[in-house]
Amino acid sequence: MSLATDTRTLTFSQAIRQALHEEMERDERVFVWGEDVAVYGGIYGATAGLLERFGPERVIDTPISETMIVGAAVGAAITGLRPVAELQSSGYFGIAMDEIYHKAARWRYMHGGVFTVPLVIRLPEGAKGAGPEHDVSPEALFLSASGAYIVIPSDPADALGLLKSSIRDDNPVLFFEHAGLYAYRGEVPGGDHLVPLGKAAVKREGSDVTVIAWSRMVGESIRAAEELAAEGIEVEVVDPRGLRPLDLDTILESVAKTGRVVIAHEAPKTGGAGGEMAAIIAEEALEYLESPIIRVAAPDVPLPQSRYLQRYLIPTAASVMEAVRRLD
Amino acid sequence: MTAMDSGKLLELYESMVTMKLWDQTALRLLQEGRVLAGYHSGRGQEAIPAGGVAPLRRDDYLMYAHRGFGYTIAKGMSMAAMFGDLMANTAGATGGLGAGIPHFADPELGILGQGGTLGSCFGIATGAAFSARYRGTDQVVVCFFGDGTANRGAFHESVNAAAAWKLPVVWICENNGYAVSVPVAESTAGRIVDRAAGYGMPGVRINGMDVTEVYQATCEAVDRARAGGGPTLIEAMCHRFRGHYEGDPQVYRTDEETQRLLALDPITTAAARLMEEGAVTGEQLEELETRIQRRIDEAVEEASRAPMPGPQRVYEGLYV
Ligand SMILES: Cc1ncc(C[n+]2csc(CCOP(=O)(O)OP(=O)(O)O)c2C)c(N)n1
Ligand SMILES: [Mg+2]
Repeated sequence: MSLATDTRTLTFSQAIRQALHEEMERDERVFVWGEDVAVYGGIYGATAGLLERFGPERVIDTPISETMIVGAAVGAAITGLRPVAELQSSGYFGIAMDEIYHKAARWRYMHGGVFTVPLVIRLPEGAKGAGPEHDVSPEALFLSASGAYIVIPSDPADALGLLKSSIRDDNPVLFFEHAGLYAYRGEVPGGDHLVPLGKAAVKREGSDVTVIAWSRMVGESIRAAEELAAEGIEVEVVDPRGLRPLDLDTILESVAKTGRVVIAHEAPKTGGAGGEMAAIIAEEALEYLESPIIRVAAPDVPLPQSRYLQRYLIPTAASVMEAVRRLD
Repeated sequence: MTAMDSGKLLELYESMVTMKLWDQTALRLLQEGRVLAGYHSGRGQEAIPAGGVAPLRRDDYLMYAHRGFGYTIAKGMSMAAMFGDLMANTAGATGGLGAGIPHFADPELGILGQGGTLGSCFGIATGAAFSARYRGTDQVVVCFFGDGTANRGAFHESVNAAAAWKLPVVWICENNGYAVSVPVAESTAGRIVDRAAGYGMPGVRINGMDVTEVYQATCEAVDRARAGGGPTLIEAMCHRFRGHYEGDPQVYRTDEETQRLLALDPITTAAARLMEEGAVTGEQLEELETRIQRRIDEAVEEASRAPMPGPQRVYEGLYV
């Protein structure tokens, strides 16, 4: 799979696969490991075809050992390789928490900066009808894990460009992929498509309200914006593309323009990253605010497995519209 | 155990004496209030880092434990840098982040660092061994850990993967009978060495108070790993002479027990053997000590000259 020259349509999952292909092609130090990533191609198909192309030395099925998957990836990263480790679900973060929080994020710092830890941990997240342990969006848990980047694409083009940049970056990157987005199609530019880390995207321009959203909530917010436009409300959708590094300039510029802020994420409201984001905006841009900040998020309960009940909990375009209408 | 030529034994003896004198010096600095953190003395266990590191090449990897600084001394880490870390000043390998729980590393020497959460070593050792093979080198990883640390779940995950993938790791468990205050018999089912069979790899239990035995067992395991024969588990039975940390009241064992241990000092044992073989005289051994102490004192002096870091130090080296 060589670089495509023209814009084409890919699913989110194909975009991840394309990024892995391109970066493994480019750099022999890049390898992929995780549960069922080789023969099976990943339970979301994101690593399909890699084994055939790059062989079992570089595409490795691991035992069900999340502590080892991340810990050993750190060991490989500090000795000259560039691992892309996959946790089959971000819900398993707890099993690898010491390895993510203290090893991946801090090994370099703790040892006086003598190492780099060029490691990407791919973490599928989000509601998909798999129950409270699997259907989590735990990105905010890692806000205090200084040393680790937190990157979250919201469409196929960003999935490709952000993953490629993450693999090339010398910092450890927690790369969250919403499982509900894998089948979603979108246009992807041709060539060596790189999206810089820490650069927010204004996914839709508007002058009345800023909606800050990431992951699946970006698409929901764009849909909400389109409907609200018919009512004469112009919504600007800002996607920070992750939580660290955070592109505060783009966020604050938008807030200064609109004076009204809605923050939308799928994780429950309490402990979600919306709280941190709101606090930053209050500290940095209170004088621009014409109305209180509203957070759109899941309620503070675990997500049950039942998709029937999940419909009542997961924020959607309608929740964003409702929040925007509530603003003065 | 086969005999060891006295030249090699003398080398290992020198390594152990360096560790012992280092330890004494660190304790003195601690008493003088110049060490800004706790310290876990390695006194009594010197045979394991000495015999376990000596078989390594410069480019082999070391994951060391928190017990004393013997492992990194043996791997050639700068003494001034280690003292600098103890004093938390800018001479330290961490550039002032210090201190008593060592986090120094030197990629050039294959020293990969140490994690304060026990068991961090396991995954990293497996990953470094994977990396060595991936890059087509014949580097070997030696990973040291205590009996208590062997009970972390990370042990199973990492040791299993390394064995399944036949990676070049030597797992060296220093069984000193205690995890802080808890005796191994109360916390640990079966013998640690017997776990090796469960992972389908060789395991040996050795007398960790005998440097020759440690050296020979490690050489065998390192050779096997280098030749592609996969990992080995070595359980080195040993005793720590001092408390878990300085200031440990040691309510969990009697003074008599601690006193009895001193007769097993690996350094005295090696000295006796060397003299018995006529390889050295007592006088020569004393000269050796004086020489080593001078080196250590020079390192302390060098480290002492370095300034403390400024407050901006905490912001450095987090991101690339
Ligand atoms: C995960 C974790 N749990 C607990 C501790 C606290 N702790 C530090 S050393 C130690 C005992 C370790 O015993 P062992 O592995 O036998 O090594 P030894 O100190 O005997 O050399 C404990 C409980 C820690 N640092 N990390
Ligand atoms: Mg112990």
